[in-house]
Amino acid sequence: MVYQDTLQLSDHGKGSYEITDLVTDFISESKIRIGTCQLFIHSSSASLLIADIADETTKNETAEFMAQLAPSSDSVDHKINVGMDAIPNEMRYVLAQTSLSIPVSNNRPGIGIWQGIFLSERSSDAAERKLTITVTGEE
Amino acid sequence: MIHQQQLQFSTRGRGTFNISREVDDVIANSGITQGICQVFIHHTSASLILCENADPTVRTDLETFMKKIAPDGDSMFQHIDEGPDDMPAHVRTVLTQSSLSFPVNGGRDTLGTWQGIYLWEHRVHPHNRKVTITVMGE
Repeated sequence: MVYQDTLQLSDHGKGSYEITDLVTDFISESKIRIGTCQLFIHSSSASLLIADIADETTKNETAEFMAQLAPSSDSVDHKINVGMDAIPNEMRYVLAQTSLSIPVSNNRPGIGIWQGIFLSERSSDAAERKLTITVTGEE
Repeated sequence: MIHQQQLQFSTRGRGTFNISREVDDVIANSGITQGICQVFIHHTSASLILCENADPTVRTDLETFMKKIAPDGDSMFQHIDEGPDDMPAHVRTVLTQSSLSFPVNGGRDTLGTWQGIYLWEHRVHPHNRKVTITVMGE
């Protein structure tokens, strides 16, 4: 069976936000015991990633590294046309993931104890983000 | 129909390990002839890649590339509780994959001749790594 919905995530501004609880709740609602869960973000300036949740420094430094790898226009010379904002975002986008898949085991996300699911928002003026979650499997 | 199985791999420290055969054995055991296989690694300092399997220097070059973009002991990193390779290992993981999906057909994987499934250990020292394989189909 398949359980799918598109969720609207309200704008948090630039940064990384943990959505593990939201995914756990969604899988629980689906009643699917065994299978897979796919997350898909309908945006080209936001991405999904699995990162370490054991330590706050790791979480911050992961976000910081992604920011340095492809800085957005906030941190480069502002003489550049403001329309350039999209370019570094797109560059970072190809190094990140638009969709993420995890196993579902015992009606829960089958992920490691130190793994957390994050939404990374790269745009400082992001509107609402649409996230589609598809759980496929057996009850 | 769904078949889910966990495998453990002992790595020998930083480097890539071909796990294609182990994954294919799980697909064969599943009895599923057509569908999708998902491979997921339960760690944040080791990851998965689909990579060229003919010439090992491809993976040596990937290692060199990662060393350049996330060097061990770089002063930009503060999270060094477990050594200079600690934070770089997390960065390498988010830049690669924690899960891979590919089609199953004829009761086996449908990877290209030169594609291999690799577990990439990013820590310098050996670790035990847990991988979950989920095969879904008919």
